[in-house]
Amino acid sequence: MATKYLHIPRLRRIYVWELPVRLYHWLNVLAIIVLVATGFYIANPLALMSQKEAANAFTMGWVRFLHFTAAYIFFFNFLFRIYWGFVGNKYANWKQFIPTSKRFFKEIWSVIRMDILFQKNRPGQREHLSIGHNALAGLTYFFVFLLFLVQCLTGFGLYAAMSDWWLPQLFAWVPAFFGGDIVMRQVHHWAMWLFILFTVIHVYLVFYHDYVEGRGEISSMGGGWKFIEEEFFEKEKPHTPNPHKP
Amino acid sequence: MSKRIVVDPITRIEGHLRIEVDIENGKIKDAYSSGTMVRLIEEILKGRDPRDAWAFVGRVCGVCTSVHSLTSVRAVEDALDIVVPPNAELVRNIMHCAQYMHDHVVHFYHLHAMDWVDVVNALKADPKKTSELAQSISHWPKSSPGYFSDIQKRIGNFVASGQLGIFANGYWGHPAYKLPAEVNLIGLAHYLEALEWQKEIVKVHAIFGGKNPHPNFLVGGMACAIGIDDVSGLNAERLAMVGQLLIEGKKFIEQVYIPDLMAIASFYKDWGAIGGGLGNYLVYGDLPTNGYRDRTALKFPQGAILNKDISKVYDVDLRQDEEVQEFITHSWYEYAGGEAIGLHPWKGESKINYTGPKPPFDQLNVEDKYSYLKTPRWKGHAMEVGPLSRVLVGYARGVEEYKAVVDKALKDLNVPVTALFSTLGRTAARGLESVLSAQWGMEFYDQLITNIRNGDTRMAEMSRFEPATWPQKAVGVGCSEAPRGALAHWINIEDQKIANYQLVVPTTWNASPRDSKGEMSAYESSLIDTPVANESQPLELLRTIHSFDPCMACAVH
Amino acid sequence: MNSEASKKQPTYYEEIRLKGYSRRDFMKFASMMAAFMGLESSAIGQVVKALETNSRVPVIWMHFQECTCCSESFIRSSHPIVADILLDMISLDYSETLMAASGVQAEAALKNTLEKYKGKYILCVEGSVPVAADGVYCMIGGKTSLQVLHEVAEGAAAVIAWGSCASNGCVQSAKPNPTSATPIHKLLKGIPVIKVPGCPPIGEVMAGVIVHYLTFGKIPELDRIGRPKAFYSKRVHDSCYRRPFYDAGLFVETFDDENAKKGYCLYKVGCKGPSTYNACGVMRWNEGTSFPIQSGHPCIGCSEENFWDNGRMYERASAFSGFGIEADADKWGKVALGVTAAAVAGHAIATNITKYKKIHELEAEGKEGEKDVIS
Ligand code: HEM
Ligand code: HEM
Ligand code: NFV
Ligand code: SF4
Ligand code: SF4
Ligand code: F3S
Ligand SMILES: [Mg+2]
Repeated sequence: MATKYLHIPRLRRIYVWELPVRLYHWLNVLAIIVLVATGFYIANPLALMSQKEAANAFTMGWVRFLHFTAAYIFFFNFLFRIYWGFVGNKYANWKQFIPTSKRFFKEIWSVIRMDILFQKNRPGQREHLSIGHNALAGLTYFFVFLLFLVQCLTGFGLYAAMSDWWLPQLFAWVPAFFGGDIVMRQVHHWAMWLFILFTVIHVYLVFYHDYVEGRGEISSMGGGWKFIEEEFFEKEKPHTPNPHKP
Repeated sequence: MSKRIVVDPITRIEGHLRIEVDIENGKIKDAYSSGTMVRLIEEILKGRDPRDAWAFVGRVCGVCTSVHSLTSVRAVEDALDIVVPPNAELVRNIMHCAQYMHDHVVHFYHLHAMDWVDVVNALKADPKKTSELAQSISHWPKSSPGYFSDIQKRIGNFVASGQLGIFANGYWGHPAYKLPAEVNLIGLAHYLEALEWQKEIVKVHAIFGGKNPHPNFLVGGMACAIGIDDVSGLNAERLAMVGQLLIEGKKFIEQVYIPDLMAIASFYKDWGAIGGGLGNYLVYGDLPTNGYRDRTALKFPQGAILNKDISKVYDVDLRQDEEVQEFITHSWYEYAGGEAIGLHPWKGESKINYTGPKPPFDQLNVEDKYSYLKTPRWKGHAMEVGPLSRVLVGYARGVEEYKAVVDKALKDLNVPVTALFSTLGRTAARGLESVLSAQWGMEFYDQLITNIRNGDTRMAEMSRFEPATWPQKAVGVGCSEAPRGALAHWINIEDQKIANYQLVVPTTWNASPRDSKGEMSAYESSLIDTPVANESQPLELLRTIHSFDPCMACAVH
Repeated sequence: MNSEASKKQPTYYEEIRLKGYSRRDFMKFASMMAAFMGLESSAIGQVVKALETNSRVPVIWMHFQECTCCSESFIRSSHPIVADILLDMISLDYSETLMAASGVQAEAALKNTLEKYKGKYILCVEGSVPVAADGVYCMIGGKTSLQVLHEVAEGAAAVIAWGSCASNGCVQSAKPNPTSATPIHKLLKGIPVIKVPGCPPIGEVMAGVIVHYLTFGKIPELDRIGRPKAFYSKRVHDSCYRRPFYDAGLFVETFDDENAKKGYCLYKVGCKGPSTYNACGVMRWNEGTSFPIQSGHPCIGCSEENFWDNGRMYERASAFSGFGIEADADKWGKVALGVTAAAVAGHAIATNITKYKKIHELEAEGKEGEKDVIS
């Protein structure tokens, strides 16, 4: 049976994720893991039946310290990624996240057809259309960035009351916007669940794509390379919005 | 031909009360009492956590603050079968006594006194004579001529400023004011003193409940843990402060309030025959001495008296369908079952339906619905609740403590027992039970200290606090004697949430509109035949209404 | 004795002298007042000047949908005490709780102040205004509170919203808010409102707000939602004496447990101190006697907007309003996580079925390539 497919495609190596994007990504993963873990603890701390005097313990203090440290890393990392969206390569560009063309929507539909509705393709057509993220992923990341924003707003909104530094003070208006700290804290807590849900789906999909496409999707966030069949590349001329070319 | 007089707002009360009366030949011939503000807190409670209810209903009233919260935790504990530890019961009792002391003193001086005391006339008093008089009726140290002349000067300057503030447009000089100038001056001086005093006694609430108004309660007990070796628990310092406050509070009641009350009453004995009203009295009972469930061991005994017949006291059972019912024939509500029926609170409904005139208006349509209060009835009878009812039931039941204070007061004033069925009786009863509350507060305090000394430091029973431990359905009723009278909350719990919650409140009993049979409630009935010397200055009307100490936020909730 | 008897109104200074106090007493009073308001000693002169030149400011205090505990709290103030406020500082011309006159006489007193002191009086509002059913759920003298509010607010020099009722709607505006109870700032468009939230606010805070206005002739500095910064800029949690237990991670687990007796932090039994702006931890209640946390009960967030609808009292703020009481975030989160995991698993299985051919191709391709590897 295998003889039918004896033709082995030549793979073209494409540098997709530049080092800053990779660093950003993993720093982000790390910060989020810390934020979720400490966030859960802050929301519902363990019952420490410590015989220590309060003066000799600082458990909650440390957990919160970690949360705030990770929060700063998360925040600046996020800012950096926005910046890189304007100066990075075309795969990192902001246009990857915001639908600006008809093609974007066409691609979203195609991804939905193939990866969610499991529809069949025209014979001989490979399934991937994109080299960076596909359009649906890009749009999802856009919403995820909005989620980042919500979390930074509510987080720093809460933090503003604990700090005199001008940076958190920039967020001092947020509680009033949400109708008080109580609601804002609830929003912050609920949003954490969206992070968790996204991560589960995202990580699954990364594995999924690697599995059904076999193009080194997972490792791309390590080395930055993705691979694509030369033949397909010539035939389909995959397109990605390129802001650097007028 | 009778003339309709409207008094709205009635001031020096809590909340929004409107009285319309028909006056004929200088007497009130007909009366209508209307509560004109509603919040529908019963509806807001639906679907909420029963353990949170005390905080919501606590906000029914900030004057009789704490009593709704107390009643609420009792109702929930009744439904969930929770028995609170003795210390919690004692702390609640102490707080309740402090509430009586506060509420009654504030009522007497700040809400009621100006019906009897002519402030302007006090400026004519001779401070020296005032001092002699004051010293003859009490040991209270602040009674020198200098003290009274300072006050007189202060008020004199205040009046001279032309900005009369709260005294503006009072009925000063009205012929119904009968006190000599010196007694007026004492009343005025103690108005100011009581204003300072009242903020002290409530510190008892602050210690146990964290703040006043609206101290905190807890289903299962109280949150103020006993920690005799900890700075934040109830330790020696905290408890000593409670003791001190109770002693000081008691002193003021015995040396200022009661002497003033008796002095003023002795000039208004004619009011021992005015404002009697219904003659039916209802008491649920309170201040348990053997746990809340023992309805026989109560400092305020429960019972009902009908037609002023104090030879017979009926028992009261709040669980019986036919005992307490609420009617809405003249109230701005509608029942699914129609206008004429009464509902026991476990089946109570609070669907609002305003059908009154469109504001601004001059008169209510009293033939139809005319109030946001429902009309509660006990076995079909209109009942009066409050200090007078409690004193009468205690007296009729032959409780020694009541007999002692009542007989002494009657003797001092030289009036018969029947003088109690009146405006004056109501006002006097409030003073008498203040004395008792102050005494009992000390008793409960001593028991609390003894308990702790004996090693019992439990303050809350938490085994049934978690909703998972509750039955799927439960009903409960909690009752108390609020300062203004018998108070009860009925709760239905389903699926760990409040399915229905109904309050029947003292002022609802007293101030309600007529029932389905057209019978009046206490306010209306007690106004009948009250003389009115000057139709445009309804001072006499205020006296009788104020003798009930109206609280409309409570009444409508 | 009728309010027509208006003469030239004496200033505080004149009044205090009339009362037989000396200039020295007066200075002492002024510096106490300054100290109370946390001012530098250099500002005492300003206080003195203010008190020397202002006559008693007329105050109109309206009650709408409320429980009167704001009034009760106000009379609990211990510095200054209320007798002094009433007799020496303000002229409380309308207050249904305290005024001698009722009915027409009360209305006449109100009208008198509205006309005579137009633009000069302070309006204090206790309670929310029901706007449903054209306002009939609160009526005074045959008018709706909505009508009354507009009448009295028009000529006010300053409007103070006392308590959570007037500033946030409080308990009667909790879901489903059957009377459409509305805080007054939403009805007084264009008129600035000083919000003094709390259920009730601390007595000394209420007195402090009034004294500030009297002394400086202007309203206190407000935060971005209209609360005086002096009393509402810190969370209860920031000044809570149980904070070291919080930082240490030592918590009361249930009421009256060992930890409760030791005064541990109340966070896990639902304390809303971390999200509540109020002065309770610093000023405490009833002349500094205690505050909710000191007496073992968690803060219920009584000075926060909508505190009635922000989840159950004895749980950490994880419940969202509108979902019924058992809907707390983590429960829903876990359900969502389960659903997601199931969806992912379903998708993985479906992938292996529907893309069987393709996966096989890839595998075959790989195996083919692998053949060329020298082993
Ligand atoms: C992935 C991002 C984040 C997650 C998942 C997360 C999660 C959480 C959670 C679950 C809580 C407890 C909420 C509760 O009481 O129920 C919390 C508290 C908090 N978070 Fe975050 N957070 C994130 C980002 C941030 C950021 C960017 C900041 C910015 C400073 C921040 C600041 C805070 C603060 C101030 C608190 C309150 C801590 C306290 O009052 O002790 N968080 N967070
Ligand atoms: C072990 C865990 C993870 C792996 C292996 C992983 C891997 C990847 C890969 C391969 C990409 C590029 C794929 C594409 O764009 O189509 C990517 C992109 C991305 N990942 Fe992850 N990821 C992980 C965890 C996370 C987590 C926890 C988050 C955040 C919650 C996250 C957020 C993102 C975002 C926002 C992008 C878009 C990259 C950009 O262009 O900025 N990832 N991830
Ligand atoms: N009526 C009434 Fe109350 C009392 N006492 C409560 O139950 O006043 Ni506000
Ligand atoms: S804010 Fe609270 S305390 Fe003030 S009147 Fe309203 S319910 Fe009462
Ligand atoms: S008791 Fe409440 S306010 Fe105090 S530290 Fe703990 S969480 Fe904060
Ligand atoms: S409940 Fe209110 S009284 Fe203070 S401690 Fe919390 S703000
Ligand atoms: Mg009711």
